[in-house]
Amino acid sequence: MSATAAPEQKERQVRTVSSRRRALRPYLLVLPSLLLTIGILYPFGLGLFYTFFNYAAATPIPDFVGLQNYAAIFSSPEFWQSAWVTLRYAVSTTVVETLLGVGVALLLFRGSMAGRVLERVLIVPLMIAPVIATIMWSLMLQPTVGVINYLLSPLGLGGVEWTDSPRGAFLSAVLIDAWIFTPFVALLALAGMRSLPRDPFEAAAVDGAGYWFTFRKLMLPMLWPYILVAVIFRFMDSLKMFDVIYALTRGGPGDSMMVLQVRGYQEAILYTNFSVGLTYTIVIWAAVFIATRLLVGVFGRAQARAAGP
Amino acid sequence: MGERGRLPGEDGLAARISRAQFLRKAGLGAAALSGAPLLASCAFGGTGGQSGESEAKDISGSFDWKREEGATIRLLLNKHPYTDALLADLNSFKEKTGIDVEHDIFPEENYFDKVTLDLSSGQANYDAFMLGAYMVWQYGPPGWLEDFKPWIENESATNADYDWEDVLPNLRAADSWSFKVGDPLGTGGQWALPWGFETNAIAYRSDVFDKLGLKPAETLDELVELAAVLSDKAEGMYGIAVRGTRSWATIHPGFMTQYSRMGEKDYDVEGSNLTPAMNSPTSVDFHDKWMGMVKDSGPPNWTQYTWYQVGSDLGAQKAAMIFDADINSYFQNQPGSTPAAGKIAWHPGPKGPDGSLATNLWVWSLGMNAKSQNKSAAWLFLQWATGKEHLRKAALEKNHVDPVRKSIAEDPAFKDVMARNENYIDTFNQLIDSTGIQFTPQPKFFDTTTSWAATLQEIYRGADAKGALDSLASDLKSQIA
Amino acid sequence: MDDRKSRIQASNVVTNALTIAYFVFALFPVFWILLLSLKPDEQLFTTYFVFDPTLDNYKTVLGLSGGTSGIPFARFFVNSLVISFGAVAIALVVGVPAAYAAARWKFRGSESLLFTLLSFRFAPELTVIIPLYVIYQKLGLFDSYVGMIWVYQLIALPFVVWILRSYFQDLSPELEQSALLDGYTRIRAFFLVVAPLVRPGIAAVSLISFIFAWNNFVFPLILTASDAQTVTVGSLSFLGGNKPNYNFTAAAALIAAIPPLILAFSIQRYLVRGLSFGAVKG
Repeated sequence: MSATAAPEQKERQVRTVSSRRRALRPYLLVLPSLLLTIGILYPFGLGLFYTFFNYAAATPIPDFVGLQNYAAIFSSPEFWQSAWVTLRYAVSTTVVETLLGVGVALLLFRGSMAGRVLERVLIVPLMIAPVIATIMWSLMLQPTVGVINYLLSPLGLGGVEWTDSPRGAFLSAVLIDAWIFTPFVALLALAGMRSLPRDPFEAAAVDGAGYWFTFRKLMLPMLWPYILVAVIFRFMDSLKMFDVIYALTRGGPGDSMMVLQVRGYQEAILYTNFSVGLTYTIVIWAAVFIATRLLVGVFGRAQARAAGP
Repeated sequence: MGERGRLPGEDGLAARISRAQFLRKAGLGAAALSGAPLLASCAFGGTGGQSGESEAKDISGSFDWKREEGATIRLLLNKHPYTDALLADLNSFKEKTGIDVEHDIFPEENYFDKVTLDLSSGQANYDAFMLGAYMVWQYGPPGWLEDFKPWIENESATNADYDWEDVLPNLRAADSWSFKVGDPLGTGGQWALPWGFETNAIAYRSDVFDKLGLKPAETLDELVELAAVLSDKAEGMYGIAVRGTRSWATIHPGFMTQYSRMGEKDYDVEGSNLTPAMNSPTSVDFHDKWMGMVKDSGPPNWTQYTWYQVGSDLGAQKAAMIFDADINSYFQNQPGSTPAAGKIAWHPGPKGPDGSLATNLWVWSLGMNAKSQNKSAAWLFLQWATGKEHLRKAALEKNHVDPVRKSIAEDPAFKDVMARNENYIDTFNQLIDSTGIQFTPQPKFFDTTTSWAATLQEIYRGADAKGALDSLASDLKSQIA
Repeated sequence: MDDRKSRIQASNVVTNALTIAYFVFALFPVFWILLLSLKPDEQLFTTYFVFDPTLDNYKTVLGLSGGTSGIPFARFFVNSLVISFGAVAIALVVGVPAAYAAARWKFRGSESLLFTLLSFRFAPELTVIIPLYVIYQKLGLFDSYVGMIWVYQLIALPFVVWILRSYFQDLSPELEQSALLDGYTRIRAFFLVVAPLVRPGIAAVSLISFIFAWNNFVFPLILTASDAQTVTVGSLSFLGGNKPNYNFTAAAALIAAIPPLILAFSIQRYLVRGLSFGAVKG
């Protein structure tokens, strides 16, 4: 009697005494993250604040200029050129990494001998800091002393210019980005594949469905949410890519690789036009915000479909 | 906390835009932005120009090395042989003055970003740092640099042996400007102290030249031809290495030197108006010739070429000539350092059509943070670091070349050390009188010169020189206005 | 039957071949970095695969047995350890309760708070770096562990909250209810029942956050000087001067890759499961 009575009493006590405390509980749990959030919002807000002034080394006591910085960059060809390069870069890297990542995941999912052994080292490229990976890759891609051209030359492909031409630089950057981040997509996709229910696939196999048919009609729709997560993360991060581009060519050759954050950095730190540089970053932030909202919307619908009947 | 800038009307600003409105406008979630006072206190530092009298006036009495005994100063330094030489000798400074010296070193890649941030924030994390002449044009106008003139002139503050006049006049002028666009260098305050400098010259493989029966070029056309011949005939080498990255540093060494020798200017100066002159017909010609030379006989990955690549290609026997800082090739020639060591010779390079040997220079200098809290101690350090004793030791023992002081350049011991490098001293002597900053000083130097480098890259890729330069000139015109 | 068998065998060969091809692509650069790290200075640009290997580069980087580069790389390594582990720890301590609360309760402002948190993930580093540079100096957080750990919350925290929230949402509340019925307090119920089930998720977000903090470049570049500098920035300092020592940087990079690798290998089995549950549900 006493064994069961005590907890019941306790529970009644818990219920009555701290109903207010219970109502407060979620807020208490969230409070630390709220405080941290504010701590981060402050510099963020300050950065935003400065975009409404003309703070620069040349004007250390800035004047309020309202939306002039925004108007100026939206009407400057450099901004649009940067925006275009950034978009091309983000789309290219995301597409390449998604295709390659899903492909690798499919290979590993098959459980072949090579796959089982090598899966353990799938994550290695992610372990190398992007800046360092880029520097090492750019060494490898050096036309004269780089090892890639050395290895390609017997095949007759040894003359590639890699970082010396705008196309080459773009290709190199996408290549490096893909090298680093494809494992991320692959891991996500693989996780997805492994969590899918086996029944539909077994049924399809019994019915004699081919590999690609199974993949297109069965796996892909169920995998969609996972793929979309990878796409969202990679796209978002590529839009604001800095490390790889900066370490590779600083935005060159010419202006061809001046993605938005590199240009913002150049304006703010090299040319000491702080407000202008910050304006670039706010625009990037807004772009990523919008893009993510859109993608998450698509994602939500895909998820609903996946949850399906 | 020292001075801090106040944004004009900021209290009114905060009042006019209520917090909630601001947040809603910015689209941020529920969070509080503090009110005006906190914003003000976090505003960037920096006042326009030096306020009040120089602290140099506070020093009186007879000079005493130990007058700041017990103080600590912080240095921000670039990873460079000059820095190595400084650190090797630092103890003698500490003993002499009783001042403790802390330092942070960064590679040049990131070094200037750090300097910019420290100066612009007004926090004076560092009391003294390294900089170049062009940086004076950027850091000076906002009042971030301490004027050394009052310090040098104050006999109580500066030791009797300092001998400021011993420093080569072109170098003293390089670090001095009035910040008024249109005024030449050498007017106004002294914003940095020359520490070690580089002229620009041709360095070449004397053994290869001997074998092929070649001589260094005396005119630009000869140089272009010579480079082509070398590319063709010299085994495993291309003709000439020059810099090519998307940076002001590409224009500054060989390019600007030869440009100036041909009589070209970056800007036409009328009063306080600057007009970009890179698209003049003769300048377009020069660009064509130079870039043609680069395309035909230059490095294959030219747009990636910085100081390092240019120098190391010479050392690795991939380039037959380079047109770059004299000390770049100097380091490739030291015994045992590279395969090309001992085989490198120097030459002033092609003369201009009227015999001009105008040469651009880079002078690593030392500057003081205008917001430093330890100016007196920092000045003691700076006069020691740029003084005869340390510089001589550094030049003789630690490769701190080229020396900024006449006394060291003419010192027989120094000449002996340098004599191991074929024709180095001769070339240096031929160039020194016409060596100076060839650029027109203006605060947007980095902005505009980087765009110029980007234009070179476009021409390299096949763009028409005239079109590209016209477009550059009109861009710069609006920037400088 | 035979035909099908040989088709399966053929596809196995293809699978193996393609798999190996990818991993050659993925691992060759790492192999190359290893080679670079063993090359002496003179042979850096003059050799490819045949050279005289030396361990001197490692000794110099780590400041062992007389080799010195003037760069306190070992200190940077320790800094990275402290900062990265610290950042993850704080993100978990702060984020797990927040994720839990967001999953279990629908309170006012939860959605907008969450999205605000997520929006930090969108912000380019540059946005906050310049204001932070000044603010940190005033607050004495410049070049400090605390400063760096706080900055990394910018990315780690949203990630933790976002992923773990869906984890918690997946778990049926009945588990906790039955624990409560058994007389446990909410806190004990959480640790006993709920936490073990989200272990994969916690492992996954911890690893990803750790890697992010460890490999980050821009924040430590700007917000540290020499006291709290990390290995990523530190590895690049060998490239300065008049002789870029790519071999030192390569050695440094490999040394720096060890902690993330160890962490990855030990958590790997959780990683795949961890990412699958949390990430998908959004």
